[in-house]
Amino acid sequence: MAQRIPNHLVSNTLLPYLSSCPSTSLFRLTTACTSSSLADASRPASRSFSTTRPSQTRLRREMIRWLRGKGSEMQHHIPGQTNYITHTNKPFPANPNYRSDPILSEDLRNEIHNQVTVQNKSVRAVSVHYGVDMRRVAAVVRLVELENQMKEQGKSLALPYARAIHEMVPVTPLPVEWERRTAHEAINDLPAHRLTDPQIFYPVSESRQFNRIDAGRVFSAAPAMANRHAEQLQANPDETIRKITQESPAKIEKVGKGDGEHQVLLPADARIPHPHMITHERNRLTIGKTEPGEVRQKYRARLEQETAVELQRKERAQQRLDMKTQKVQPENSRFEFRFTDVVVSRETTGLTGRGHMAPGRRYGVPSYDRKKGQVKIPTRVQV
Amino acid sequence: MRNRATTPLKQPKIRQSWSKYNLYNLSRLRDSYRPSATFFQQKWKSKAAARAYHGEQVSEKQWSRMFSPRLRSVVPMAPSNLARDDGSAMSAGRGSGLTKAPKPEEQPAFGEFDEEEEAARSKLTGFEADRKTPYVQMTFAPLERRLDTAIFRAMFASSARQARQFVVHGAVKVNGKPMRYPGYLLNPGDMFQVEPERVMYATGAPKDKVERRQTRVARKKAAEEAKKAEEAAEEAAAEEASTPEEATKEEPTPVEAPRETLKALMAQAKAIMNSSKDVLPAKRKQDLRGFQKAVRRVLSRSGNSTVLTANLEEQFSELTTLLKAKRAEKKPVKAKEETEKKEGGEEKQKAEKTEESATEKSESKDATPKAGENGPITTKLSEAFRQAIQNPEKDVDTSELSDDEFEVLRRALVQMRDNPVDSTKPYATPWRPRDYMSAFATIPRYLEVNHNICAAVYLRHPVARPGFAEVPTPFGEKINTPAFVWYLRRR
Repeated sequence: MAQRIPNHLVSNTLLPYLSSCPSTSLFRLTTACTSSSLADASRPASRSFSTTRPSQTRLRREMIRWLRGKGSEMQHHIPGQTNYITHTNKPFPANPNYRSDPILSEDLRNEIHNQVTVQNKSVRAVSVHYGVDMRRVAAVVRLVELENQMKEQGKSLALPYARAIHEMVPVTPLPVEWERRTAHEAINDLPAHRLTDPQIFYPVSESRQFNRIDAGRVFSAAPAMANRHAEQLQANPDETIRKITQESPAKIEKVGKGDGEHQVLLPADARIPHPHMITHERNRLTIGKTEPGEVRQKYRARLEQETAVELQRKERAQQRLDMKTQKVQPENSRFEFRFTDVVVSRETTGLTGRGHMAPGRRYGVPSYDRKKGQVKIPTRVQV
Repeated sequence: MRNRATTPLKQPKIRQSWSKYNLYNLSRLRDSYRPSATFFQQKWKSKAAARAYHGEQVSEKQWSRMFSPRLRSVVPMAPSNLARDDGSAMSAGRGSGLTKAPKPEEQPAFGEFDEEEEAARSKLTGFEADRKTPYVQMTFAPLERRLDTAIFRAMFASSARQARQFVVHGAVKVNGKPMRYPGYLLNPGDMFQVEPERVMYATGAPKDKVERRQTRVARKKAAEEAKKAEEAAEEAAAEEASTPEEATKEEPTPVEAPRETLKALMAQAKAIMNSSKDVLPAKRKQDLRGFQKAVRRVLSRSGNSTVLTANLEEQFSELTTLLKAKRAEKKPVKAKEETEKKEGGEEKQKAEKTEESATEKSESKDATPKAGENGPITTKLSEAFRQAIQNPEKDVDTSELSDDEFEVLRRALVQMRDNPVDSTKPYATPWRPRDYMSAFATIPRYLEVNHNICAAVYLRHPVARPGFAEVPTPFGEKINTPAFVWYLRRR
């Protein structure tokens, strides 16, 4: 086996955390040290009992030379700076399409948690305020809760490790009150829908305004709307989009038959995570110059309304679930048993009778769960 | 499973690993284009290179079943654009594509939003329509769902193989339940956590020769002591059985003068905090151990037995009381009351002081975590101590301590608590990141990681967006395109 690279600079001068600045980085290598170790790179490290030279190939020597030269920059990090081969924020030299995105700083995380749990702000409002994705806001709250719980239990945390990571990776700091806020990430991402893959040539009369709602219908092969109905929708676009997003998804129009049945593709305005921001922009464009106060007030009212609707929806879902389940708690028992009725119907079995939603054995429908190629490890972990 | 993830130099392969061999190979990686190679050869080579990195631990059959030709992408939308135009202008097609889609007036900073600001500053996402979406970079996106890969991406392990080992050895939980399958495919919203000790071991610098030896020595010593204690206990039991009347005598502990103790402690703390580079690490470590011991010794004198394990503020306040007051049994609460009584006139000054300390706290990253309701009281307490110390009439003993010195003592305590020297740990202590880690340090957007507790949430599946793809792959489109084509069924 080839000899391992002797690590001359293992125990570096100072303990990382004892420097006056709060940093985990070790002090950068001194040049004197590297040059002296370069000299003995050619001859093998002391081996008193063997006269054979270790197998040092040319490639290996080159690698060692690189590690002691250019590569030594990468050995230790500089706090608050990325330290990639490329000297940019892209860690892979051959891949310009991947960049190292910033992560949330600890202060920002705690602030988000505080705003959601203590100040009782909605996830949506916090997401817009800091430019953080709603799913990320929810995850942050969950993780900080877990952190607090672990602290209370007195479990050991990986604090020096966390500090080191936050020094190596770009970080979005908590914005100072008077400074201009910059978003952490794009919050209005529109996922590319499968139906929009094909290019469609669709002739439209010039007299007709062909907007995003119509385009969605064309992509999902739905018949064109009656002119009057289309005009109605167009007259008040804000109200149209609000209705679509706040009504139950079951009310979305469907086209196709049998297995091919699918919902009509909604316009982009309704499919982005924050449709209310479009309304706000529209208000700004129309009355923003003259009545900025009203715009602000409208925005707040809309946010509150969104929150109320979401809360209502959640409550209703909970009620529905309660209606379905029968709870039984035996005396002197730690457990509560919850029973829900099994449904084997057209909806759960599907047309072929093989739908996985329906439980149990059905005549003539073999279960393939032990067959080769089937997933046999858990597919979800329920909390 | 045998580890076949070698990092050869002759035919370099990039691996999911933070080793220096891998870093060297990565630095040599070029998008080599061999015009003489046939199409099939190009595809084969690309696929081989890409698979050596992506899911090397997954068999080819398994991966080809996971592969999906559908690549997820998103388009960041700007609400200002959507508000301005309902899409009819674009679809009217006037100008036959010569006129471009309406751009916002100025190129805004990426994803900027402020509801209270002027309309001119309301531009949302950057206008990225000019950039192409790098779809083929998403070829190996299905593998990012795997639990072991996600652990490696969250920087909880130094290689995908190590991450896999953590899972198999039962150190990983998904949604709070142990998960032993490295091939578990995470669903959006799943939270996974790894034992912090394992993560510290995986990402920390390894012990060197000297430290390993110290560990062995310490272990031996501990074993011997345990044996001796056992024997002593047995003897004591035997003696007690014979002469139960004899009372156990306590050795009178030598009580040092508090003033001298404090002085010595401060000197040690200062020596430790001193950032001069000439001091040898061994010497430094000795200093640290000495300091640790001294603190323990002082604290053990207090009647309160929980102080040694209690939170830092408490320790700190206890320490200061013990050293300041001549009566060791004096309770911190009493001290606080007294100081408040004495300094009734100095309310203003006090308020200023608290503000100062608050700012200090927020500045220093290692602000101590407060346990429950204890937090504010103890901070007040320590504040009271500081006040008491600044008050020259009250105690002559500690009047020489300046604010800075106190800060030094506090910081030394914080650091000692957070990152202690402990030979029982499997990594070099105090913990420091392993070499060459920073060159690989990146956390993809589809994960939200809390490094303090070594837990992360898989937010969503990775997506491509104009200009960027979220799958961390070292290869460019020249390699990923033929690799993608290889896995399409008809090749």
